[in-house]
Amino acid sequence: MTPLLEVRGLSKRFGSVRALDGVDFDAAQGELTGLIGPNGAGKSTAFGCIAGAMRPSGGSIRFASQEIAGLAYHRVARLGVGRTYQIVQTFADMTVLESVTTGALLRHPRVADARAHAEELLAFTGLAAKRDRLGRMLTIADKKRLEVARALATEPKLLLLDEVMAGLTPAECRDAVALLRRILERGVTVVMVEHVMEVLMPIAHHVVVIAAGKTIFSGAPAEAVRDPGVVAAYLGPPLEAAS
Amino acid sequence: MSPRPHLIALAAIVVLGLLYAFGSKDAVTLDLVFTLFLYATLGQSWNWISGYAGNISFGHAIFFGCGAYAAALCTNAGLSPWLAVPAGALVAAALALVTGFPTLALRGHYFSIATIAVGALVDTYVRTQGWLGMANGFELPIKNGLGWLQFSDKGPYVALALGLFALVQLATLALERSRLGYYLRALRANHAAAASVGIDERRWKLIAFTSCATFAALAGVLYAQYTLFVDPPSTLALSISIDIALIGVVGGIGTLWGPLVGASVYVLLAKEVALRLGGSGKGYDLVIYGAIICLIAAWRPHGIVGSIIDALRRRRGAADVVSVQNPAEAA
Repeated sequence: MTPLLEVRGLSKRFGSVRALDGVDFDAAQGELTGLIGPNGAGKSTAFGCIAGAMRPSGGSIRFASQEIAGLAYHRVARLGVGRTYQIVQTFADMTVLESVTTGALLRHPRVADARAHAEELLAFTGLAAKRDRLGRMLTIADKKRLEVARALATEPKLLLLDEVMAGLTPAECRDAVALLRRILERGVTVVMVEHVMEVLMPIAHHVVVIAAGKTIFSGAPAEAVRDPGVVAAYLGPPLEAAS
Repeated sequence: MSPRPHLIALAAIVVLGLLYAFGSKDAVTLDLVFTLFLYATLGQSWNWISGYAGNISFGHAIFFGCGAYAAALCTNAGLSPWLAVPAGALVAAALALVTGFPTLALRGHYFSIATIAVGALVDTYVRTQGWLGMANGFELPIKNGLGWLQFSDKGPYVALALGLFALVQLATLALERSRLGYYLRALRANHAAAASVGIDERRWKLIAFTSCATFAALAGVLYAQYTLFVDPPSTLALSISIDIALIGVVGGIGTLWGPLVGASVYVLLAKEVALRLGGSGKGYDLVIYGAIICLIAAWRPHGIVGSIIDALRRRRGAADVVSVQNPAEAA
């Protein structure tokens, strides 16, 4: 079976800076693919290019066997790619219910239908009690949860999660992992960027490591931490080799 | 939230307004009320694109002008100004489409600057065109009756302005509950996040811009038939666009009742000062109005209605927090 998402030779230049310089990876249908790498490796840039927020400088992005590289942001969303942001981007002056309803309007143009669908997702994500709070009044954990609910409301086939665990307390992390498992049970394919390794490793089916804009590893999570190239990218070369 | 309280309030305003329009013989106050509803309509029109969608327009007078000029041309050609209703609305919508397409996706102040430029362009163009009366403008021939939208009393004008305001208010109430309304607010809040849930910014903002341009054009038709004189300074000038924007800002941008409140402040202030101070007070209303704008800009950026909504929400929010902290007490 062809993967839901196939990224080949993805590159993105900002002037003379090569943020991405040949990123390759696949995300298989129904699986959770973890995208990891040191700070500045280009993970969020890769997300931006896949979601359509940025135009890649080169390479190919095939989603459900369709080329989407360079397609307008809202059109990629319409095809079935949902995302959250590393730095949360809530609709500050909308309530939780209104924000999620806005997402649901993509597939349910009638407001009443969209609202009903949004209510369902608020229950699913555990935000039902806060439905009338304004986006800007939420805690960081709830803002991230709201972004997940809003993205799910567009009924995506592929969900891109950019550091949804960052800044959460251990208890909040556990809740987020439980939510993630429920999302996978719905059959949504997930690609997530994550720094909290101990969170990612047990739930990821597949791990892709990016360093300096290139893919340096792709495989099972347990192998990633033993791979010499990955270790070197994170910690530098081994001491005996350096001396 | 149920639309019922808004509908009841609107019905009350319409009933009281109609009783007043046909009951009063006080020409000065009738003129005041006419202006009030005309400006409230223009303010609400502006509110669609600048309040709900967040693209601050300083060129809204040109759509008002489309209606006013259409009415003047029709009446002078011996045609009913009712023809100017679709014609003016169509021209305004076309103008909004053409100017909005390249500018609505501009960020920050650039849209506002573009609207000033387009406004100046239209103003200058009209001043050079013989068939549009050059800089001198037009007088409209005096007729009578509903067919000509001209009346010997001010009452029917007030009723028409009130009717137009009520229609626009109903449209706005529908907007708040529609897909378009949700999308505009989402785009205003965060255009990138809006795109991430599939919202095509240009498409939805163009729909809003062309719709609200037609409201302003309808107000223009009514205005021309009321004053029987149309020229660039009274219908197209930047100062009119700014007045419209300030009414929206003072009342509360992105709120249903903001434009009516803003227009009330604007109109009542002008008349009160003029009545109390007479000729010696000329311009004082603008001084006070300016001070109010400064105060709102500094302390209440959400405007009068916006501040009231905030205060209500805070009270409800505070109750919410208490109930979370003391579940026993809440139970």
